[in-house]
Parts: sequence; C-alpha cells; structure tokens
Amino acid sequence: MRAARWVVSRIAGGAFVLWAVATLIFFALRMIPGDPAEAILGGPGSQASAEALAQVRRDYGLDQPVIVQYLTAMGRLVTGDLGTSYALKMGVADLIGQQLWNTLSLTVLALVVAWGLALALAVWASRGGGLGTRVGSAMEVVAAAVPHFWLAAILILLFSSTLGWLPPISTGGPLGLILPVVTLAVPLAGFLGQVMRESLIDALEAPFALSARARGETENGVRWRHAIRHAALPAISLSGWAFGSLLSGAVVVETVFARPGLGRTLLNAVTIRDIPVVTGVALVSALAFILVTIATDAIDRIADPRLATS
Amino acid sequence: MLKHRPVTPKMFRGTLAGSVLLALTLSGCTTAAPASTEPVAGGTLVYASGDAEPTCLDPHVGGNYPQALVSTQYLESLVSKNSDGEIIPWLASKWQESADGLSWDISLRDDVSFTDGTQLDAAAVQANIEHVQDPATASSTGYLALGKVTSTEAVDEFTVRLHLSAPDSSLLDSLSMPWLAIQSATALQRSKDENCQAPVGTGPFVVESWVKQDAVTLVRNDNYTSPPADADHDGVAWLDEIQWRFIPDSASRYAALQAGEVDVIDNAQPDTIDAAEATDSIHELNAPRPGASNRIELNAGKAPFDDQRVREAFIRAADINDGIDSLFFGTAQRSYSALSSIEALGVSAPEYFTTDVKEANKLLDAAGWRERDNEGYRVKDGVRLSLEFPISTNQSIPAEVSLFEQIQATTKEAGFEVKLSPMDLSSWYGALGANQYNLVSAPYTKVGPDVLRILFHSDAITPAPSGYYANHAQVSDPELDALLSEASEVTDANRRAELYRQAQDLVLSGYYLLPLYDQQNHYLVSSAVEGLRAMPTVSTPTFYDVWLNR
Repeated sequence: MRAARWVVSRIAGGAFVLWAVATLIFFALRMIPGDPAEAILGGPGSQASAEALAQVRRDYGLDQPVIVQYLTAMGRLVTGDLGTSYALKMGVADLIGQQLWNTLSLTVLALVVAWGLALALAVWASRGGGLGTRVGSAMEVVAAAVPHFWLAAILILLFSSTLGWLPPISTGGPLGLILPVVTLAVPLAGFLGQVMRESLIDALEAPFALSARARGETENGVRWRHAIRHAALPAISLSGWAFGSLLSGAVVVETVFARPGLGRTLLNAVTIRDIPVVTGVALVSALAFILVTIATDAIDRIADPRLATS
Repeated sequence: MLKHRPVTPKMFRGTLAGSVLLALTLSGCTTAAPASTEPVAGGTLVYASGDAEPTCLDPHVGGNYPQALVSTQYLESLVSKNSDGEIIPWLASKWQESADGLSWDISLRDDVSFTDGTQLDAAAVQANIEHVQDPATASSTGYLALGKVTSTEAVDEFTVRLHLSAPDSSLLDSLSMPWLAIQSATALQRSKDENCQAPVGTGPFVVESWVKQDAVTLVRNDNYTSPPADADHDGVAWLDEIQWRFIPDSASRYAALQAGEVDVIDNAQPDTIDAAEATDSIHELNAPRPGASNRIELNAGKAPFDDQRVREAFIRAADINDGIDSLFFGTAQRSYSALSSIEALGVSAPEYFTTDVKEANKLLDAAGWRERDNEGYRVKDGVRLSLEFPISTNQSIPAEVSLFEQIQATTKEAGFEVKLSPMDLSSWYGALGANQYNLVSAPYTKVGPDVLRILFHSDAITPAPSGYYANHAQVSDPELDALLSEASEVTDANRRAELYRQAQDLVLSGYYLLPLYDQQNHYLVSSAVEGLRAMPTVSTPTFYDVWLNR
C-alpha cells in the first residue's frame, strides 16, 4: 500500500514537472525578441522577402495569438504529438527517436565510467592515510571543476593531434566514443568521488566496521563487503542529478566531437529557434531525468531498507 | 600620429584554438610525397562544413550560403563568371538583351539532361523561375534577385525570353548565383519536402542520400556533359563520392583535417589558417565572397549619427588596422571599400579612413559634444554619447568580436561609449527591426555591384512588412538613389561603372560605413586534394575538377 502510494505520487509529480517544463519553454522562447519566422527562413546572409515570411507565419500558425498557440501546443502534447520541426521538416518524435540512442549510449556509458572512476578514487584515497586522502581529494576537486569544453580540447590535443591514437570526431564506431565518454565522465567522477570518499571514511570508522574487523575480516573485506554499501548510498541518490548534468554536458561534448545526438540537436534548435524541437528535447530530457530519479529512489530503498519504512 | 594599443587575442579565451596551436608545435608535420601528377579517377572525399546544416538542399528555398556551398556540387546555373569577372556561358550558350532592355532572349544548350533524365529546355527554365517566384517556395535570395522579372515565354524549344518591368543591368550577375540554379522541371513537381531532400540538377554530382544531422552523400553523375567554360577538364568528375559533413567546432574541424578524417574544411578560423601555414600537409584556399565587404554601418537615421561630423569622428577615432593584423594573424586584408575586392567595380578610398583622434575630438567639439562625464564619455544636453552595437554571434566570428572590442576601446579616447551586445540571430534581427542600434555589422553576399542599391537605396530603409531592411546605415540621399537606380538599368558598361563609382564615393565620403575586410571565406585543404578551385561567382568550392593524390 505504501509502495503503491509512493509510485502514484511519483507519477503525479513527474506529470506536473513535464507540464511546467513545456509551459516554461514555450513562453521563454517567445520572450526573446525577434521573429521566429525570420529564424525559420533565415540563416546568416539570407534575406527573407515579405511574401516568404507571411507564408511561413501562416504555415506555422505564428500569426495566431500567443495564448491560442500555447493551447494548441499543449493540446498536441497531451495526445503525445510533439509536432514538426520548423527547420528539418520532420516529426519531432522521429527526430528525437533517431538521436536518442546516440545520447543515451554516451550518457549511460559516461555514468558507468564515472562510477568506476569514483569508486576507485574513493577506495584509494580512503586507504592512503593522510597523504592519500589529501592527494585523492585534490584530484577529485580538480576533476569536478574541469569544464567539459576544456577537457575535450585537452583530450583531442593529447590523443588525436599529438599521439594520433583516437579520432577527434565521433561519427561512428566504438573508438570515437572513448574521448566523449571520458570527457563527460571525469568531472562527474570527481564529484561522486568526493561524496563517496567521505561516507566511506565514516563507514570505516563506524562500529559495524570495528565488529567486522573483530570477527577477523581483512581490511579489504571490510572495505568491499561492508563499507562500500554505505559509501554508495549518497552517490546513488546523486546519480539522478548526475544524469541530468550529463544530458547538459552532452550539448558541449556532442558539439565539440561533432557527434550526432540530442544535445547537438537542442543547440541547433535553440540557435534557429526551432520551438517544437527545443520543447521536444527538453520534455524528453525532463522525462529521462524523472525516470532516473524515480529509479535511484527505488534503488535507495532497496539498498537501505530504513528508507522504505520511515 | 596614430596611437597604438596593445592587442590581446581574446578569442583564445574559452575556445579550443590555443590548444590546437600547441598541438601543432608538439606534433610536427609529415610531408606527403605527391604520388601522381596526372589526375586519377575514383575515391571518396570528405568535406566538413562549419556552417549550420541546411534545412533544405534546394537553394531556391530560403537561399543562404550553406545551401550554395553544397548545391554547387549538384546544381548548375544559366551563366557563370570567369576569374576576370566576365560572364561566361554555362547552361545558356548565348543571350541577347532587347533594345529597350525590357526583355532578354536566353539560348540554352540543347545537349544537356538533368540527372533524372529530363531534358534541359526553355520550359525547364520557365518552371524554375516560376518555382522561385511562387510564395509557397519561400525563396528569399533568389526571389529578390528576380525582382524585375515579370513573366517568361518559350520562344522555341531551347530559347527562353524573360520579360522585365525595367531594364536590369545585373540580370546576368543574378542568374549566375547558385540560388537561381536550374533544376529538373519534373523534380520540381514533387512535394517541397521531397525536393528539399534531394534536388535534381545537371551538376557533376547527384544527391544520393541525406541523413539529417549526419551527412549528405553525393555520388558522381556518370552522364555529366555541362562543365562551365572555365573548367579544367571535360567529361565526368574524377571523384566517385563526396561525404558532406558538419563539424561546428572550429578546432575539432581542424583536428579532424589534421588527423586525415576529412579532406577539406570551410570556415577556417584565423588561428587555424596560421597554424596550417606551418605545415606541408594542408593548403589554404582563400576565396573572399562577392557583394559587400564586411563593414560596420553607422545608423544615420537617428541621433547621434544623423550628424555627419559625429559619424566622421567615430571613423577617425576607431583604430583597427593593428587589430585586424594581430587578431586575424595576417589572414585578412583591411578593406577601404563598400564592395568586396573581387568586385571589379569596387572603389577603394583609404583617404576617408585614416585614424586621427585629434580630428575626431575637433569634430565632436564642433558637433556640440563638448563636455565629458566622470567616466570620460562625451555628453551633450545631459545625454551621453552612447552607441548601441548589437552583434550577431552567428555571423561575427570570435576574432571579429574581439576587433569590435578594440574599436570600443579606441573610440573611448574620443569620448564614445560603445555598448556591445552579442546576441543570437533572431534577437539580432529583432534589434535591427526595432531600430535599436547605432552600429551594426551585417554580411551581404550577392554577385555584382547592384548590392549597393540593396544596401544604400532609401527604398530599403522602410522595413518590409517582415521588419527586415537592408539599408542598415539608413542612408537617405536622393542623389545617391538616382545614381543607383540609373546604374541598375543602364546598358552601357562604361556608364554603369561610372555611376557605381560616383555612388560609392557618396557613400564613403558620407561616412556611413567603416569597411573592415572582405567577407572572409577560407578553406583548408589536405595536400592530397588536387584541382580545387572556388567558383568566381559566389566563391563556393567546386569539386568537379578535384582528384585525390594518395
């Protein structure tokens, strides 16, 4: 019963967030000065004729009052119709469907790699004594603070231009995925690592760790079998947030590595003010964020049964 | 005495440029030994564009430069230009203007077919003009260029007559542009979406597929018969295939070229051109665009630039030559003309653009801007001498934005406050439409000097219903209008040149604009690519003569 109520409240909350996102984006894009019709026709160096603009306004319903446009758009969204891209003249749902896998594979891989790196870093830093902790925490702070575009540039410089090991653009093939994934994973690993290390150190000093040691458990056994579960909890909770940050990081990474995906689609769409695409990508990102958050909540409840009963 | 300010290449901030430069110095460069001196057929060339991906591959629709770039490979125009700027035959073999200038007879080649098998004939040209003029096509560039064409008529199977509302001395210039390229009449009858996806022309390549947000695949047209008169060879193209990709980030684009992932890149930025100069494996193709030069326009339609003295003062105060040299790494030449250096009728007048802060101060004093506030800006009747400068970050590259910052710094000495506002394209159009600017830099690509009429005739001040207007300097001078109107109609070449000379002199001596440099259009090319040239029309590269030497 409690679980059912939990599920229903999550779904209702998610639906509210989606509506809020759609509404916010709709009005935000119309607050920016300028004429979407110019954007639809334009592009640097092109001059739209009055006739062409009038035609475009009619075609896209831009001559309607804003509230009518809003209600039309919401009505369509409720029925699951994301509309048609102004620029690419194709269904937004199809467009997102084409690009979704590219971005999901990138972000999910980055999340996995970040977890791996963070765990390794946290375990190493927690065992190294004072020096290890200081070096580890310094590395975490630096990694967490590195901007994606800078890291991407350094990685291209090192592994493509200088060593020639990996391609600087990511148009296909697993080799092309490495640099984008590392670019996304490193800052996140720094962040997750900080959280994990602190809880790991706390856990290693907790009474249950002492009693495990007293039972004759080795230090590695204490670390991997007992303490790590506690250390992972806050990092699991943070993974929902982390996934969101990966989606925004994908905008930069996909652009720098010329990789097709939702982030690049979003950037292009914002630049030319392709409102249906911006709305569609934002909604899908919000949906993914909501699903991941629900999933991490659920995992939290499994990993720590106290949460489910409290 | 010119005052020199230290130059800081701010474009390095937040870009990958610096790191790629560093990469070059670290990596060294390999020299590719030429394998052959005779053209070799075959191979796939990869082109990486820094422009946004076109939304439609048919350049009749809308009509911008990214479309022109790719469509040059599969569509052809009625006429072209040679490197001396003379009109030469292409799909049209000859042409004749009527005595009153109100109609043109254009004779077509009778041996050309479109890649769908349709014959090129008078009806095809009629269908194309109809397509461009149909509001449903939403053509902008092509539509404006055909402004005087009222109707068409097939004189015989291979002769088409264009009827004009007034003589048009720029008609052939207009017809040479890729935005008026000729497509198969059969293909044009398809839906707009289908035609956007794969337009059908007579060019050396055919659009095979277009995976949006990935690549356009072009394959050789094996029945190609219509190279322009100035091409290097006859028959079909050498290349089997072209992969047309989009890599928005300048440094990634260059890294991909270095790594051999791509063979040609466009929109090469000054730092990468400079880096490429140090290598043997990459060449540069510098092809300035026709039409207007890149210039800052001074809005004479409102205060304070409605006073010519204030305009002159601003231009005298702006010290830009050193900035262009250092920010563009010597890749851009300072321009003193309203027109591109490739326009034969362009007038260069350096005398109006010497930097002279003393003179600027004198002019401002004379114009009544005598006092300065505590920040050093001039004030008149309690109003600061402040200038709004909206910048389109889609159109101004980082080096150009840095140049504007230097102009902001140098004109401050004379007491100008320049407010730079970088913004996206739609917002920028919005600011222009609302007349919320004193300074603006806007590119305009068009073949021939008639661009002067578009930019400076007072007709172009009144915003069209769209809010768009090209006369950003808001020049309103009946004498200039008369010169430009007559020049656009006169048949005699010498008279036309003289009229455009006088018109340019009025514009330049009126201090309506501060020319910077040609519209920059640099390509970086792998040394394995042989035979690449830019079309003398709108400077798009053509891959017809290109072969791969590897």
